Formats: sequence, C-alpha cells, structure tokens
Amino acid sequence: MILHKIQTSPAQDNALSTCLRYIDKQDTLLLSGNAVNALLLTCWQEKLSHITVLVLEEDIIARGLDERLNQYASISYEQFVQETLRHEKVISW
Amino acid sequence: MSKFIIQVNGSVYGSSASYSAYQFTQAALAAGHEINCVFFYQDGVLNTSSLNSPASDEFDLTKAWVSLNQKYSVRLVNCVSAALRRGVISKTEADESKLPHWNMQSPFEMGGLGELVVGIEKTDRLVSF
Amino acid sequence: MKKLTIIFRRAPHGSPHGREALDLALLSASFEQEVSLIFVDEGVLNLVKAQQPELIGAKDFIATFGALPLYDIDTILACEASLQEYGLANAELTIAPSIVTPSTIREQLASADEVLVF
Repeated sequence: MILHKIQTSPAQDNALSTCLRYIDKQDTLLLSGNAVNALLLTCWQEKLSHITVLVLEEDIIARGLDERLNQYASISYEQFVQETLRHEKVISW
Repeated sequence: MSKFIIQVNGSVYGSSASYSAYQFTQAALAAGHEINCVFFYQDGVLNTSSLNSPASDEFDLTKAWVSLNQKYSVRLVNCVSAALRRGVISKTEADESKLPHWNMQSPFEMGGLGELVVGIEKTDRLVSF
Repeated sequence: MKKLTIIFRRAPHGSPHGREALDLALLSASFEQEVSLIFVDEGVLNLVKAQQPELIGAKDFIATFGALPLYDIDTILACEASLQEYGLANAELTIAPSIVTPSTIREQLASADEVLVF
C-alpha cells in the first residue's frame, strides 16, 4: 500500500495524471499545495472518485477552499506523518 | 518511533514544497521520530543560502531550518554538486576555488549524494518534497 | 541494501531533473543498492537517439545511459503507453529498455523499497 503525494496542480504539471496511470486501487492519494485545486474541477473529481483521497488541511484552509472541499478527508501534518508510516512507502510525484 | 530521511527539492522562495517539507519535519520531530537528515537536492539547496533576505513581514525559511536544528539537532545536509551549480558555496569550497565570497554556513553542511543513499538505507521512510 | 526505483517522468534538457536522476541512479548503484529505472510520460524522450544537448548549452548526460550495465543496473522499464503517445513505439532507442504495460510498472512500484521521481 503506497501513499502517493502530489504537490502541484494539474494546470501546472502532469504529476497527478502520471500518478493515476500507475496507482493501485488500494493505494492512497495525498494532495498538498496547489494539487488540492484539482478537486475543484469536475473532470478530476470523476477520475478520483474510486480512489482514497486525503488533502492537507492547512493547504485547503490557506486557499479558502475548506468548505468547498469538505467532502474530502483532510489531515494535519501530524496525521501526514502517521500516514507515511501506515503505508509501505511514499511516492512524491 | 521511526526513522525518516527528508529530501527537499523545491526552491526556498519559488515553490511551496520547501515550507511543506519544513512543516513535515517539525511534525515528525515533535512526535518523537528520528530524522536522519534533511537532504537538500536540486533547487532545494537554495534553502541554505545565508544571504536569503526576505522582507521583514515574510516567513524566513532559512532561519526556520536553523531554529529546527537548534531545537532538535537535526542535520541539514546539502548535496554539494547541486549547491555549487546554483551558487551555494561554503567557506571550504570558496577557499578551494579561490572565490572571495561564500554564503553557506553552519549549521548547514555540505555532503555528497552518497549521504542521501546511505540515509535511505538506514531509515524507515524517505519523504520528498 | 535497498531496492530503489528511480522514475524519469520529465523530458530532458528543459530542466536538470533527468540528469540529476541519472546521477542518483549511478551513485546509488555504486553504493551497492539494487537500482531500477522507469521511463514514463515525457520522460521517454530521454531515450531518443542522436541527441545533441550541447547545442543548447546542456551537458550530454544522455551518453551516460550507456554506462548503466557497468553499474549493474539491469532493470530498465519504459512505459509502452507513453512510448506510443510520443510516437516512439517502434523507434530505435539509445538503450534497450523492457517495454512494459502500466500494470507491470504498478508491480515494480509495489516491490521497491523506495521510489524517487524526477
């Protein structure tokens, strides 16, 4: 079980799209930084609908998106540390 | 408790990755985990220039790394070849290359890429930013 | 010894990622780690033959891919879907990677101890 970490928005970089090509069903996707913006777009909401998605709480609050994205599980940095250990490895795309 | 190595590839000002690396490192240390080192690679080496001078009302990430070192004794290691290419130079390299100036100082240190590899081997998790 | 997988996902020369990935691959192998490489997405352009990066002020690190066997880096995968997208499916490449499906790459990611993406 892998924690895939994306920190750039799909408008900036194709990290998210590359990651989705190789992610396994049981893996987790963590969106941080501008990557959280992907969740505002219908096309990405659909592509991510079958994947466990986490967002970094500070990044959505900082961007004023916490209410808009409240259907996604948000985690603190403390929980981020725990998630890296709960998964076998972290891949930062 | 677990052992981590943190790799920072993002520049100090041009990307939010470095600040995120700092937050993660701080959270891991606060939770009692061990950090083998924070390894600065690619544009990450720009975090370690002591000449970084953000405006007084802006977050000073270079200072924040230094504070983290003072509080937890976490090692802050630059990839020397990545640093030299980007104008981040310690007194040792400045002397060797007969350069009049240098900008990296303790507690940051220069190391080879081998430190990253050995660090990965010794730790439970690599987390890159 | 750990199993390190290094992913090349960006095109060469526009940024130093490919070169810094190769530096890390060779160094890791010389430190007795079990290294494998995966070329995906625009990263497959690292495999195009007859590149002349010096013309644009870049170092010819592409030539160094030829040294991979000397470092015992034998697992070199390239994503079939990515090669097709960039019109390289039938092209002669600088090195001969194993051309694999995304699901084989998924298995490779699962079996590595750590994965570094460039």
